[in-house]
Amino acid sequence: MTDQRPPAELVTEPAPDPIWTRLSVIWLVPLFALAVTLGVAWKSYSDRGELIEIDFADATGLRPGETVLRFREVEVGRIETIGFTPDLASVRIGVRVNKDVAPFIDAEARFWLVRPQVSAQGISRLDTVLSGTFIEGYWDATPGASTRRFTGLDRPPVTLDPSKGTWIELRADDAGGLAEGAPVLFRGVTVGRLQNLRLNEADSGVTLDAFIEAPHDRRLTTNTRFWDTSGVSVSLDATGVSLDIRSLASLVQGGVEFATFASGGTQVENGQGFRLYPGAEAARNSIFGAGISEPARYILLFDEAVEGIERGTKVQFRGIEAGEVTDLSIRMFTDTTGTPFAKQQITIALAPERLGLAPGTEQEYVNEFLAGEVLHGMRARIAGVGLLGSTLVIELTDVPDLPEAEMNLSAVPYPTIPTAAAATNDLAATAEGVFNRISALPIEELLASAIRTLDSVSALAESEQTRALPGELTGLMAELRELADGLNEGEAAAKTITALDGLSSAATSVQTEIEGLGAALASTDAAAQAVAAMPLEQIGAQIDGLLADLRTMLGSEDAEQLPRALSDTLEQSAALLAELREGGAAEKLNGTLVAAEGAASALEGATARLPELTAKLETLVTTAERLVASYGERSAFNAEVLDTMRELRRATSAFGSLARMIERNPRAFILGR
Amino acid sequence: MGRNRTELSVPTARDAGLTGCTSCGRVWPMGTEHCGRCGARLRPVDRSALQAVWAWWAAGLICYIPANLYPMLRTATLGHEQTNTILGGVIELFAHHNYLVAAIVFIASVLIPVSKFIAIAYLALAVGNEQRAGGHRHLLLYEIVEFIGRWSMIDVFVVAILSALVQLGAVAAIHPGPAAVSFALSVALTMLSAQSFDPRLIWRGPARTEGP
Repeated sequence: MTDQRPPAELVTEPAPDPIWTRLSVIWLVPLFALAVTLGVAWKSYSDRGELIEIDFADATGLRPGETVLRFREVEVGRIETIGFTPDLASVRIGVRVNKDVAPFIDAEARFWLVRPQVSAQGISRLDTVLSGTFIEGYWDATPGASTRRFTGLDRPPVTLDPSKGTWIELRADDAGGLAEGAPVLFRGVTVGRLQNLRLNEADSGVTLDAFIEAPHDRRLTTNTRFWDTSGVSVSLDATGVSLDIRSLASLVQGGVEFATFASGGTQVENGQGFRLYPGAEAARNSIFGAGISEPARYILLFDEAVEGIERGTKVQFRGIEAGEVTDLSIRMFTDTTGTPFAKQQITIALAPERLGLAPGTEQEYVNEFLAGEVLHGMRARIAGVGLLGSTLVIELTDVPDLPEAEMNLSAVPYPTIPTAAAATNDLAATAEGVFNRISALPIEELLASAIRTLDSVSALAESEQTRALPGELTGLMAELRELADGLNEGEAAAKTITALDGLSSAATSVQTEIEGLGAALASTDAAAQAVAAMPLEQIGAQIDGLLADLRTMLGSEDAEQLPRALSDTLEQSAALLAELREGGAAEKLNGTLVAAEGAASALEGATARLPELTAKLETLVTTAERLVASYGERSAFNAEVLDTMRELRRATSAFGSLARMIERNPRAFILGR
Repeated sequence: MGRNRTELSVPTARDAGLTGCTSCGRVWPMGTEHCGRCGARLRPVDRSALQAVWAWWAAGLICYIPANLYPMLRTATLGHEQTNTILGGVIELFAHHNYLVAAIVFIASVLIPVSKFIAIAYLALAVGNEQRAGGHRHLLLYEIVEFIGRWSMIDVFVVAILSALVQLGAVAAIHPGPAAVSFALSVALTMLSAQSFDPRLIWRGPARTEGP
């Protein structure tokens, strides 16, 4: 059987509605919610801003999610993360910066922490005590290349907008009383601030930045000079004491003032360097220009004492002021045996333009120039200037006759210039020479020879012969008197009297001559006194010369010829006597003539001894004067000697005139004048 | 007793060709437009009503995400501003040993809303698949969800009250964060979701197997 199954019952169902027709409109609600949520999410994501990283030394008071970044006191970002730099040396702050300002944050942007500050200028940012530390940023209004990593400033910058003024750099030997934030004054008005006080690389001084606000920065030129007005300045001069305190702030934290003394400078650019002088005078007078070009510095090593050299002592290059001493110190060296020894180390700064080089020449070229000079004999030495050499300078000058030397260009901290021994002032040198010669004079020998001379003189004066002289003279006088008596008694007495009168006048003239001799003796006396007072050096020679003079004077022809004349006279007298004898008067005159002959012979003997006597006499006189001076004017010896001298003089003069008379007219001896 | 009832084969209005008024509970023959007693419009039991449940539910869930991601409170104290999300606040309270408060906040702001989402989703998914016998439990769950839903607003109330009270200028100030709005929205939407769930659907499952 066929199992024919009936066809399956047709199941007809209404086709299900398409799903969209069954969808309720209520689905719009979650769609809308989703759209809104996604929209919000997308917006907040896209508005999230950019993350920048700022490195700070520390993160005092910073909290992620709370601490904000502000630009002109408006919040523009918030700290997201606080971490460390890979070397852990500083803190790296991640800051989410609002999208609208992010493009402006370029490499020029600066960030610093704002905290309450108490300084000499007052208390600032006290509000941050409550609100907490925040990061302040500053950037200009021109979008730049995107930079996302910054290093935060240690302290707030002096000025927010560097374009509203001029940045300059000041260099000084030391910071003195300067502090960061100290004012820059122009005629006492604060026109800027100092910042960023730091040491130079070479430790040769300090550098600080100064910001001069517009429009005062127009007053800066390349010829402007800056000086330190820190603290109190007291100056004492002819007008009295002057005390200068610029301001209380500058007293506390120092200050810098500037002025332009010379015209012709050009407008300064940002970053222009200026030298900071320690005072207004120094700024006005310094030979170093206003420019910051570091002066070339050198080391001088002296073995000798450098007393009198101090900071600021001038350095002269061949007589022209070219720099100054900037530092003095002692430097230890060790010699080959290992013994340490010290040298005086003087640091000098030279202005290249004073050496004839272009201003601002690099030290290398100055080195080169000086090295050449040193090869040609230039050395550094201490020299005195001024009338007495009392002001010391360092002299760079050619010193002859020195072994060759070279600059040590690789020395630290600065190249060294070889030195020479100190030069002395000419006048001082001359004076020293005089004193040296005086000390070298053979004064002791001279005195010894003088004493010997005086000894011999006194021995002469004390000798028997000398003492016998007055006696002999007296005898002579007696003989003469006898002769005269004989003549008087004789017939020719009258004539003889006349002759004797002539003899007397002749004696007078001899006396005059002898008085001239006395003047010579006086000059001898003066010479002797001069010997006592004058340089002993010449004394010997003078005495010798004087004695020689006296000797020549006394040994003159007149005196020498005197005996000859006398003998002539006597011959003639003899002839005369012969005539007289023939004439009959011989007998009468005989006795007289015998006496006269004796007198004449005695006279001849006396006359022959006259030069010697005179010389001795002169010596005696000189000695006597000295002796008198030494024995005292009023002593008995003195008086005695003076009397003797006087008599001697008189006798000598009488004999002199007699001898002259006889010489001139021998006949007069017998016949009268 | 309920347990016994669940094991019984419960006849439904639909089985009897009736439709109940959702407003007053009076049953009318199918096809009746309006309730003759209270005048409410009679809606037939329709699975399509679940669409509304899911829609509200999804919207509530979407709103719940930002409510947890964004800060609920912004507290400014002496210049320090602090923001807390819901979970962040709970963790912070817990860290400060305020366990009770932490627990309350956690239950009110996290546990209950999340449970509600799960519960509504379960109920909605279960429509049609459940055994009629489980209808009672589902109804209980539904009633709990509806009852507890309003209390979910406790967090929003706290924020609102704090914001209103703590306005001491710079010393201390509390502002509601964006999460507060999202959270309120989320709660409201889940309440709507729960509301749009037609509990009569709970009993639909068995009818379907026996149905036409």
